[in-house]
Amino acid sequence: MTEEKAKGNADLPEKGTTVLMLGNPNVGKSALFNRMTGANAIVSNYPGTTVDFTSGTFIEGGHTYTIIDVPGTYSLEPRDAAEEVAVRMLRDSPDATVMIVLDATKTDRGLYVALEVMERGMPCIVAVNMMDAAHEKKITVDIAELQRILGVPVVSTTATSGEGVRDLAEMLRKAKVADIGAIAQRLRGEEQERESVRGCGGCGGC
Amino acid sequence: MLIKLSDLPFGERAVVREIRTSAHDLNCMGLRIGKELKMVTKQPIKGPVVVLLGELEIAMGLETAELIVVETGTDA
Repeated sequence: MTEEKAKGNADLPEKGTTVLMLGNPNVGKSALFNRMTGANAIVSNYPGTTVDFTSGTFIEGGHTYTIIDVPGTYSLEPRDAAEEVAVRMLRDSPDATVMIVLDATKTDRGLYVALEVMERGMPCIVAVNMMDAAHEKKITVDIAELQRILGVPVVSTTATSGEGVRDLAEMLRKAKVADIGAIAQRLRGEEQERESVRGCGGCGGC
Repeated sequence: MLIKLSDLPFGERAVVREIRTSAHDLNCMGLRIGKELKMVTKQPIKGPVVVLLGELEIAMGLETAELIVVETGTDA
Protein backbone atom coordinates (compact mmCIF):
# COMPACT_ATOMS: atom_id res chain seq x y z
CA MET A 1 0.00 0.00 0.00
CA THR A 2 1.50 3.29 -1.02
CA GLU A 3 1.57 6.17 1.37
CA GLU A 4 -0.41 8.26 -1.08
CA LYS A 5 -3.30 5.85 -0.90
CA ALA A 6 -3.34 5.86 2.85
CA LYS A 7 -3.39 9.63 2.98
CA GLY A 8 -6.02 10.36 0.38
CA ASN A 9 -9.59 9.24 0.31
CA ALA A 10 -9.87 5.52 0.47
CA ASP A 11 -9.96 4.58 -3.20
CA LEU A 12 -11.63 1.27 -2.63
CA PRO A 13 -12.47 -1.22 -5.32
CA GLU A 14 -16.13 -0.92 -6.23
CA LYS A 15 -16.66 -4.65 -6.25
CA GLY A 16 -18.80 -6.41 -3.70
CA THR A 17 -19.24 -5.47 -0.09
CA THR A 18 -16.57 -3.54 1.72
CA VAL A 19 -15.74 -4.86 5.15
CA LEU A 20 -13.73 -2.72 7.55
CA MET A 21 -11.93 -4.60 10.28
CA LEU A 22 -11.82 -2.39 13.30
CA GLY A 23 -10.77 -2.85 16.91
CA ASN A 24 -8.25 -1.97 19.61
CA PRO A 25 -4.56 -2.21 18.79
CA ASN A 26 -3.05 -5.68 19.18
CA VAL A 27 -6.24 -7.75 19.08
CA GLY A 28 -5.23 -9.73 16.01
CA LYS A 29 -6.98 -7.85 13.22
CA SER A 30 -4.10 -8.36 10.82
CA ALA A 31 -3.77 -12.04 11.72
CA LEU A 32 -7.48 -12.46 11.05
CA PHE A 33 -7.15 -10.48 7.83
CA ASN A 34 -4.36 -12.75 6.63
CA ARG A 35 -6.43 -15.81 7.48
CA MET A 36 -9.42 -14.56 5.54
CA THR A 37 -7.69 -13.22 2.47
CA GLY A 38 -4.51 -15.28 2.29
CA ALA A 39 -2.64 -12.01 2.28
CA ASN A 40 0.57 -11.32 4.06
CA ALA A 41 0.03 -8.25 6.22
CA ILE A 42 2.73 -7.75 8.80
CA VAL A 43 1.78 -9.18 12.15
CA SER A 44 3.68 -8.68 15.38
CA ASN A 45 3.07 -8.87 19.06
CA TYR A 46 3.11 -5.11 19.51
CA PRO A 47 0.24 -2.65 19.45
CA GLY A 48 0.47 -0.26 16.53
CA THR A 49 1.91 -2.61 13.92
CA THR A 50 -0.63 -1.52 11.30
CA VAL A 51 -0.40 2.23 10.75
CA ASP A 52 -2.02 2.47 7.36
CA PHE A 53 -4.51 0.12 5.82
CA THR A 54 -4.22 -3.03 3.75
CA SER A 55 -7.03 -4.39 1.66
CA GLY A 56 -7.72 -7.82 0.27
CA THR A 57 -10.62 -9.73 -1.19
CA PHE A 58 -12.26 -13.02 -0.54
CA ILE A 59 -15.28 -14.77 -1.92
CA GLU A 60 -17.80 -16.48 0.30
CA GLY A 61 -21.06 -17.99 -0.88
CA GLY A 62 -20.66 -16.41 -4.30
CA HIS A 63 -20.32 -12.94 -2.85
CA THR A 64 -17.14 -10.91 -3.11
CA TYR A 65 -15.98 -9.04 -0.06
CA THR A 66 -13.24 -6.47 0.02
CA ILE A 67 -11.77 -6.61 3.46
CA ILE A 68 -9.82 -3.67 4.79
CA ASP A 69 -7.49 -4.07 7.72
CA VAL A 70 -7.78 -0.79 9.60
CA PRO A 71 -5.16 0.37 12.15
CA GLY A 72 -6.14 -0.34 15.73
CA THR A 73 -7.92 2.38 17.62
CA TYR A 74 -9.16 2.77 21.18
CA SER A 75 -11.91 5.18 20.23
CA LEU A 76 -13.34 7.12 17.32
CA GLU A 77 -11.93 10.36 18.66
CA PRO A 78 -8.46 10.03 17.22
CA ARG A 79 -5.43 10.77 19.33
CA ASP A 80 -2.69 9.81 16.89
CA ALA A 81 -2.08 9.43 13.16
CA ALA A 82 -2.94 5.74 13.03
CA GLU A 83 -6.24 6.35 14.81
CA GLU A 84 -6.98 9.19 12.40
CA VAL A 85 -6.59 6.77 9.49
CA ALA A 86 -9.09 4.45 11.17
CA VAL A 87 -11.66 7.16 11.73
CA ARG A 88 -11.25 8.55 8.22
CA MET A 89 -11.72 5.11 6.69
CA LEU A 90 -14.94 4.67 8.58
CA ARG A 91 -16.16 8.07 7.40
CA ASP A 92 -15.14 7.48 3.78
CA SER A 93 -16.91 4.13 3.55
CA PRO A 94 -20.44 4.82 4.77
CA ASP A 95 -21.83 1.75 3.02
CA ALA A 96 -19.30 -0.65 4.47
CA THR A 97 -19.93 -3.45 6.90
CA VAL A 98 -17.81 -3.15 10.03
CA MET A 99 -16.20 -6.23 11.51
CA ILE A 100 -15.39 -5.32 15.08
CA VAL A 101 -12.55 -7.42 16.44
CA LEU A 102 -12.26 -7.90 20.20
CA ASP A 103 -9.54 -9.54 22.27
CA ALA A 104 -11.34 -12.26 24.25
CA THR A 105 -9.14 -11.51 27.26
CA LYS A 106 -9.97 -7.78 27.17
CA THR A 107 -13.52 -7.64 25.90
CA ASP A 108 -14.66 -4.66 27.95
CA ARG A 109 -12.07 -2.36 26.48
CA GLY A 110 -12.88 -3.49 22.96
CA LEU A 111 -16.58 -2.99 23.51
CA TYR A 112 -16.03 0.72 24.08
CA VAL A 113 -15.00 1.36 20.49
CA ALA A 114 -17.49 -1.30 19.36
CA LEU A 115 -20.38 0.71 20.77
CA GLU A 116 -19.00 3.88 19.22
CA VAL A 117 -19.10 2.16 15.84
CA MET A 118 -22.61 0.84 16.48
CA GLU A 119 -23.78 4.37 17.27
CA ARG A 120 -22.88 5.32 13.71
CA GLY A 121 -25.56 3.00 12.40
CA MET A 122 -23.29 0.89 10.23
CA PRO A 123 -23.99 -2.84 9.84
CA CYS A 124 -21.74 -4.70 12.25
CA ILE A 125 -20.49 -8.15 13.08
CA VAL A 126 -18.31 -8.89 16.11
CA ALA A 127 -15.36 -11.28 16.11
CA VAL A 128 -14.16 -12.28 19.56
CA ASN A 129 -10.60 -13.18 18.68
CA MET A 130 -7.76 -14.72 20.70
CA MET A 131 -10.02 -17.38 22.18
CA ASP A 132 -6.96 -19.61 22.66
CA ALA A 133 -5.34 -16.99 24.89
CA ALA A 134 -8.57 -16.67 26.84
CA HIS A 135 -8.76 -20.44 27.38
CA GLU A 136 -5.21 -20.40 28.64
CA LYS A 137 -6.06 -17.67 31.13
CA LYS A 138 -9.23 -19.50 32.16
CA ILE A 139 -11.39 -16.71 30.79
CA THR A 140 -14.68 -17.70 29.23
CA VAL A 141 -16.66 -15.38 27.00
CA ASP A 142 -20.41 -15.94 26.79
CA ILE A 143 -20.74 -15.50 23.04
CA ALA A 144 -24.48 -16.24 22.93
CA GLU A 145 -25.22 -13.69 25.66
CA LEU A 146 -23.03 -11.06 24.02
CA GLN A 147 -24.91 -11.65 20.79
CA ARG A 148 -28.26 -11.37 22.55
CA ILE A 149 -27.30 -8.07 24.16
CA LEU A 150 -25.69 -6.49 21.11
CA GLY A 151 -28.23 -7.81 18.64
CA VAL A 152 -25.58 -8.37 15.97
CA PRO A 153 -23.80 -11.62 15.07
CA VAL A 154 -20.93 -12.51 17.41
CA VAL A 155 -18.42 -15.17 16.39
CA SER A 156 -15.50 -16.52 18.41
CA THR A 157 -12.24 -16.93 16.53
CA THR A 158 -8.61 -17.82 16.96
CA ALA A 159 -6.83 -16.22 14.05
CA THR A 160 -3.51 -17.95 14.68
CA SER A 161 -5.05 -21.42 14.31
CA GLY A 162 -7.90 -20.46 12.00
CA GLU A 163 -10.61 -21.62 14.38
CA GLY A 164 -13.93 -19.90 13.78
CA VAL A 165 -12.72 -18.03 10.71
CA ARG A 166 -14.99 -20.04 8.43
CA ASP A 167 -18.00 -19.21 10.64
CA LEU A 168 -17.01 -15.57 10.66
CA ALA A 169 -16.89 -15.51 6.86
CA GLU A 170 -20.30 -17.14 6.61
CA MET A 171 -21.83 -14.77 9.14
CA LEU A 172 -20.58 -11.67 7.33
CA ARG A 173 -23.69 -11.50 5.20
CA LYS A 174 -25.79 -11.44 8.37
CA ALA A 175 -24.13 -8.31 9.71
CA LYS A 176 -26.73 -5.97 11.11
CA VAL A 177 -27.17 -2.39 12.23
CA ALA A 178 -27.23 -2.40 16.02
CA ASP A 179 -29.94 -0.60 17.94
CA ILE A 180 -28.17 1.30 20.71
CA GLY A 181 -31.42 2.00 22.53
CA ALA A 182 -32.33 -1.68 22.52
CA ILE A 183 -28.84 -2.60 23.78
CA ALA A 184 -29.27 -0.23 26.71
CA GLN A 185 -32.69 -1.71 27.43
CA ARG A 186 -31.38 -5.25 27.34
CA LEU A 187 -28.58 -4.28 29.70
CA ARG A 188 -31.15 -2.90 32.13
CA GLY A 189 -33.12 -6.12 31.76
CA GLU A 190 -36.10 -4.39 30.14
CA GLU A 191 -36.13 -6.57 27.12
CA GLN A 192 -39.23 -6.70 25.04
CA GLU A 193 -40.07 -10.29 24.21
CA ARG A 194 -39.66 -10.99 20.54
CA GLU A 195 -41.86 -13.77 19.23
CA SER A 196 -39.65 -14.71 16.33
CA VAL A 197 -36.56 -15.57 18.35
CA ARG A 198 -38.19 -17.85 20.91
CA GLY A 199 -36.83 -21.35 20.78
CA CYS A 200 -34.11 -20.28 18.37
CA GLY A 201 -30.53 -21.36 18.86
CA GLY A 202 -29.41 -17.78 18.40
CA CYS A 203 -27.35 -17.84 15.26
CA GLY A 204 -27.71 -14.08 14.92
CA GLY A 205 -29.29 -14.51 11.55
CA CYS A 206 -32.71 -13.11 12.26
CA MET B 1 -10.33 6.47 52.02
CA LEU B 2 -10.25 8.68 48.92
CA ILE B 3 -6.82 9.51 47.55
CA LYS B 4 -5.24 10.57 44.28
CA LEU B 5 -4.22 7.64 42.10
CA SER B 6 -0.73 9.11 42.02
CA ASP B 7 -0.57 8.62 45.82
CA LEU B 8 -1.59 4.95 45.71
CA PRO B 9 1.33 2.90 46.99
CA PHE B 10 2.98 0.26 44.86
CA GLY B 11 1.15 -3.08 44.84
CA GLU B 12 -2.04 -1.73 46.47
CA ARG B 13 -5.56 -2.04 45.12
CA ALA B 14 -8.18 0.66 44.88
CA VAL B 15 -11.48 1.44 43.15
CA VAL B 16 -11.81 4.35 40.72
CA ARG B 17 -14.28 6.92 42.09
CA GLU B 18 -13.76 10.10 40.14
CA ILE B 19 -12.02 11.19 36.94
CA ARG B 20 -11.21 14.90 36.85
CA THR B 21 -9.60 14.84 33.42
CA SER B 22 -10.79 13.72 29.98
CA ALA B 23 -12.88 10.71 30.99
CA HIS B 24 -13.19 9.66 27.36
CA ASP B 25 -9.46 9.07 26.93
CA LEU B 26 -9.33 6.89 30.03
CA ASN B 27 -12.65 5.13 29.43
CA CYS B 28 -11.65 3.92 26.01
CA MET B 29 -8.51 2.43 27.53
CA GLY B 30 -10.65 0.50 29.99
CA LEU B 31 -10.30 2.76 33.05
CA ARG B 32 -13.77 3.64 34.25
CA ILE B 33 -15.46 4.73 37.43
CA GLY B 34 -16.17 1.72 39.63
CA LYS B 35 -13.32 -0.35 38.21
CA GLU B 36 -10.81 -1.92 40.55
CA LEU B 37 -7.16 -1.39 39.77
CA LYS B 38 -3.78 -2.22 41.20
CA MET B 39 -0.71 -0.01 41.17
CA VAL B 40 1.98 -1.78 39.19
CA THR B 41 4.75 0.75 38.70
CA LYS B 42 5.48 4.29 39.58
CA GLN B 43 8.54 5.52 37.80
CA PRO B 44 10.86 7.92 39.59
CA ILE B 45 11.36 11.57 38.64
CA LYS B 46 7.72 12.13 37.69
CA GLY B 47 7.70 9.21 35.30
CA PRO B 48 4.62 7.34 34.10
CA VAL B 49 2.22 5.46 36.34
CA VAL B 50 1.24 1.93 35.33
CA VAL B 51 -1.88 0.28 36.72
CA LEU B 52 -3.35 -3.17 36.22
CA LEU B 53 -7.07 -3.39 35.39
CA GLY B 54 -8.06 -7.02 35.33
CA GLU B 55 -6.01 -8.47 32.49
CA LEU B 56 -4.70 -5.26 31.10
CA GLU B 57 -2.01 -2.87 32.10
CA ILE B 58 -2.34 0.75 31.21
CA ALA B 59 0.22 3.48 31.52
CA MET B 60 -0.48 7.17 31.99
CA GLY B 61 1.40 10.34 32.74
CA LEU B 62 1.77 11.39 36.36
CA GLU B 63 -0.34 14.51 35.66
CA THR B 64 -3.22 12.26 34.60
CA ALA B 65 -2.84 10.00 37.64
CA GLU B 66 -3.05 13.09 39.86
CA LEU B 67 -6.51 13.82 38.45
CA ILE B 68 -7.97 10.40 39.21
CA VAL B 69 -9.54 9.84 42.62
CA VAL B 70 -9.51 6.30 43.95
CA GLU B 71 -10.88 4.69 47.08
CA THR B 72 -8.68 2.38 49.10
CA GLY B 73 -9.63 -0.13 51.74
CA THR B 74 -12.90 -1.11 50.04
CA ASP B 75 -11.76 -4.74 49.90
CA ALA B 76 -13.49 -4.96 46.54
